[in-house]
Formats: sequence, structure tokens, C-alpha cells
Amino acid sequence: MRLKDHNTVKLKKRMKVTSRFRNNVDAWILLIPAVIVLYLMIWRPTVLGTVWSFFKMRGYSIGEFCGLDNYRMVITHTQFLPTLWNTVKYVLWSLVLGYLPPLLLAVIINEMVHFNNGFRSIIYLPAVIPGIAAMLMWSYVYYPDQTGLLNVILMKLGLEPYTWLTNPNFAIPGIVIYCTWKAFPGTMLLYYASIQSVSTELYEAAIIDGAGMLNRAWNVTRPQIAGTLLLCLVNQIIAVFQIMQEPLAMTGGGPNGASISLGYQLYKYGFASGGKATGQAMALGVIIFLILLVLTIFYFRLNKKVEDNAY
Amino acid sequence: MKKFQNKQAGLLSSAELKTFKGQFIYWLFFAILVAFCVISLFPAIWTLLTAFKESQEMYSSFSMFPKDMSPGNLWHRVSDSWKQLQLGKSFINTIILSIGDLAFTIVVCGFAGYVLSKLKPKGTKIVFALVVWTMMMPAQIRMVPNYISMLNFPFASQDSIVPGVSLLDTYWPMWLAAGANAFYIILFKNAFDSLSHSYVEAAQLDGCGNFRIFFQIMFPLSMPIIIYVSINVLGGAWSDFFAPLLYLDNREVTPLRIYRLQSDASIQMNARFMGYIFASLPPLILFLIFQKRIIGGINVGGVKG
Repeated sequence: MRLKDHNTVKLKKRMKVTSRFRNNVDAWILLIPAVIVLYLMIWRPTVLGTVWSFFKMRGYSIGEFCGLDNYRMVITHTQFLPTLWNTVKYVLWSLVLGYLPPLLLAVIINEMVHFNNGFRSIIYLPAVIPGIAAMLMWSYVYYPDQTGLLNVILMKLGLEPYTWLTNPNFAIPGIVIYCTWKAFPGTMLLYYASIQSVSTELYEAAIIDGAGMLNRAWNVTRPQIAGTLLLCLVNQIIAVFQIMQEPLAMTGGGPNGASISLGYQLYKYGFASGGKATGQAMALGVIIFLILLVLTIFYFRLNKKVEDNAY
Repeated sequence: MKKFQNKQAGLLSSAELKTFKGQFIYWLFFAILVAFCVISLFPAIWTLLTAFKESQEMYSSFSMFPKDMSPGNLWHRVSDSWKQLQLGKSFINTIILSIGDLAFTIVVCGFAGYVLSKLKPKGTKIVFALVVWTMMMPAQIRMVPNYISMLNFPFASQDSIVPGVSLLDTYWPMWLAAGANAFYIILFKNAFDSLSHSYVEAAQLDGCGNFRIFFQIMFPLSMPIIIYVSINVLGGAWSDFFAPLLYLDNREVTPLRIYRLQSDASIQMNARFMGYIFASLPPLILFLIFQKRIIGGINVGGVKG
């Protein structure tokens, strides 16, 4: 009896060990494709980019170690500080135009009992248009002669046509207006989902306490969605700081470099310099990474806090 | 109004909506939304109308609408522009690209999310930490190194003993990048996290292998997230012009073709506008089919260890 017991226990144990081993093997078979592509497409190039930023590049092949030369060339370039300032301007304008307006709209849509889904569908449409088609479309909206949409409107109102994107003062806000138009729906849905999750009981309690509409918005809605708001803020700063495609397609960085961003400058170093500045491109990549690192760490701390509160 | 009576309490309650002030605010909100919809759609509507105008008309007429609105003429503009723009080949290329993107994303990210969520073999923690770290890395730091490694795939150097293969002008750079998406891996992981582990245990008791559990149980259960990711991936393939700009040349995809048309002086503005409309149609159709799922949003959780 005892012996049999002992044997079954042993057998069970061995089965458990082999099945756990099989589990591990199966799991790694399913996981290995992801590890390979992440290694090839992200982990290795990130490390190599950092290492190669200290090397002299000959086109797309690697030359000899040159210390901080690439960095010196990037930072001492006369356009470096203006470009950095432009990038900050992109971020600031995007916060002014694109951060709170989607929230107001989400709040309003949440109150709608008529046509609620219809509004969300229609508002979402700009996000459906492919990015490049939308960018070029907007470059015609801003077209500085009489065929551009905004100038057609101005002339119908009896005003002079304006220069729009060819005006150095308007180029960055102009691009940001396009970006806001394109990203608005996504942000709004995010806010909307977060507002929807606010319990109606809280509102009912507030009504019983005699709180008015603005009072409810400030004391019930705001604290409940504060986490999402903060996350969106940091997320937006990080995303806009890397802006590159929009100036590339809409202004080519002009007029006279007035709308060139760090990301676009990196593209120019890497792919439009005839291979002479690929080293600088990687050095600039590291610089952008270091600037964003602070923000990203903050973002992840915050995300964790928000998640912890939510559960 | 019946709808007002059933309204859940929010900033406006059903009691307040009976008063004049409440109704005034409600309809004010309604008007703001309508105005916003019109303004935000205006550039798109203008593009559509201009695309149907005749070439001389664009410069001479200040009316929003094309002069000749007969169906025959409108169709003539469509077929004429299609011939001029030569988008046919690029449409086929984009379909190939987007299907490959989709396959890579679902297989690679879906599997990885499942393993990180349910199977958790030894070493998962390190992989997960690396995936999270991946999300923090700005894409720009790897732009040039990625290009170099695509020139000599998979060695990333021209001096390797075995020569690498150039992946330029193939879809592989985009397909591989589609698989290497840390955000989708985490999205899938969160989705599988929300499915109860008892499904797995019950199937294991019945002698079901890991692969069968994944394909016959977990995969169908996670359809909502798969559809959500698919829509985004397909939309991305029809939208992204930057990666094709770096890697593709002869195998033009639609976004790249649209970008290149910009520097083609023989194409008139109205034909270009028609091009933007052609390029928008596939994502638009996708949106109209899956509308409910997209505007319903999805609970995109953050990163939890």
C-alpha cells in the first residue's frame, strides 16, 4: 500500500515536471518570433545607433572611432538652437490647440441623447483619411494663391489673401492646426471613454446636494478623469516632440527653415545629405532620446500611479 | 421629449432638462457639435467638390460647386483622373503590404501577448521588461541603423564574412516592423489577462495541448481585440508614407505614389484631389463596416508588470 502510494506520488511529480518543461518549450516557440523581430528592428538598431554615433560614418558603412565629433558638429551647427526652439514651439502650440478642446467636445457629446453615435462617427472621419493624403490636402487648404480654400473664403469675405504656410510666423501653428484636426478624434474618444466610466451615482449625489452644472463638472467629472488627462498631456508632449513627417510633406521645413523640427533635421542628416552626415543623424537621435528620457520616465511613473488608483 | 426623461444624470439631469434653462443649454451644446462637425469636415468636402471641377474652372470660378453636376460628367472626371494617376498598381501593392502587415502583427504580437499573459515560461519577466523599455525608445534613434541593417540584412554591416541581403524595394522592412510593435504586444497581453485562466486549466484537464488551447479557445474569445488591432494595422498600411519613402522605389504603395504625385507637374490640382479621395476610399470603407467597434473605443489599459 505504502509503496504504491509512494510510486503514484513520484509518477505525478514526474508528469508535472515534464508538462512544465513542455509548457516552457511551447511557450518559447510562440514567443521566439516576437523576440527575433524586436531584436532585429528595435533592440539592436537602438544600441548600434548609440554606438555608431561615436564613429565616423562613410555613407552607410562604419568608419573609425571619432569620439564626440558627431555631437560637436550637431550642436555647434548654427541651426541647432533655432531647430530645438521650433520643436518646442510645435509642442507648445499643440498643447494650446489640441489638449483641452477635445475634452470639451467629449464632455458635450457625453450629454447628448440625440444622435450621440452619429456625432462620434462624423467627428471621427478626419482620422480615417490616410495621413499623407490629409497633409497634402491641407497644404492646398493653406495654398497661398487664390485657389487655396482659406484664401477663397477670405476673398469671398472681401479680404486680402494671406500667405499662410509661406509665412514664417504662421508655418508652425499652421502645421499644428492640421495635426490637431487629424488627432482630435482619437484624443476625444479616449476622453469620452474616461468620462463614460464616471459613475452616475456621483452625479445624482451631487444633484441632491444642490450642486449646479459647473460645480458638478469641476468637483465630480474633473477629479475622476484627472489621471487620463495627465497621461494624455505627457503622451502628447512626447509624440509632438518627435514631429517629422508633417513638416517634410507640408512645408519641406520652410520657409527658410522656419518650420524645421529636430526629427526632420535628423531625416535630412540621414537621408538627404548624400551620406555625408549619417553619423550626425545618429548623434541627434541620441540627443532627442536623452531629452525625451526624462519625460518618458515621468510618464511611466504616472501611468503606474493612475493604474494603481483605478484598480 | 421621451429621450430627456430617460437621460442618466450627468452635467445635465432629466429634471433640469424640463426647465427652459436646461433645454437651452442642451440645444446650445447640440448646435456647437453640429457647427464643429461642419467645420471639421469642410476641408474634406471642399477637396471632394474641387476634384470634380474642370481644370479651367478651378481658377476662373469662385463657386464651391462644380458647374456641370450631371452624372455623366462626374463619372468622366473619376475615370479620367484614375487613368492619369495610374493608381491601379499601387493599390495592388498596398493590398499585399497591408495583408503582410496584418499577418505579422496578429501572429507575432498575438502569440507574444498570449505567452506573456498566460503561459509565462521562465525568462518572461526579462522579455516583458524589454518590451516595455521598447515603448520608451523614440523611433528616431533607430532610423539610420535600421536602414543600414536593411541594406545588409540581417548583419547590419557591410564587412560581415557572409554577405547580407538587401531588403530595399521589398515589403520586408514594413512587415518586420509590423511584427515588432511593443504597443500591440502589450494590448494583446492585457486582453488575454482579462480572459479567465480557468479556460486554460479546464482545457488542460481535458488533455488539450498548448497550441490547440490557443487556436481553438483563446483566439476566438479574443476576437474583439483582434478586430480592433486589424483595423488599426490596415489603416496604418494605407496611411504610412514614410517607411515606403525610405525603403520602396519600384513597388510604389498608394501613400508613396500620392506623395510623389506632388512633384509631378503634369498632374493638375483637381486630379491630385481625386487621388486623395481614391487613397481615402479603402480605409473609409473599412471604417464604415466596423464603425461601431471603432467609435465604441476599447479599454486600452496601461503597462502593468
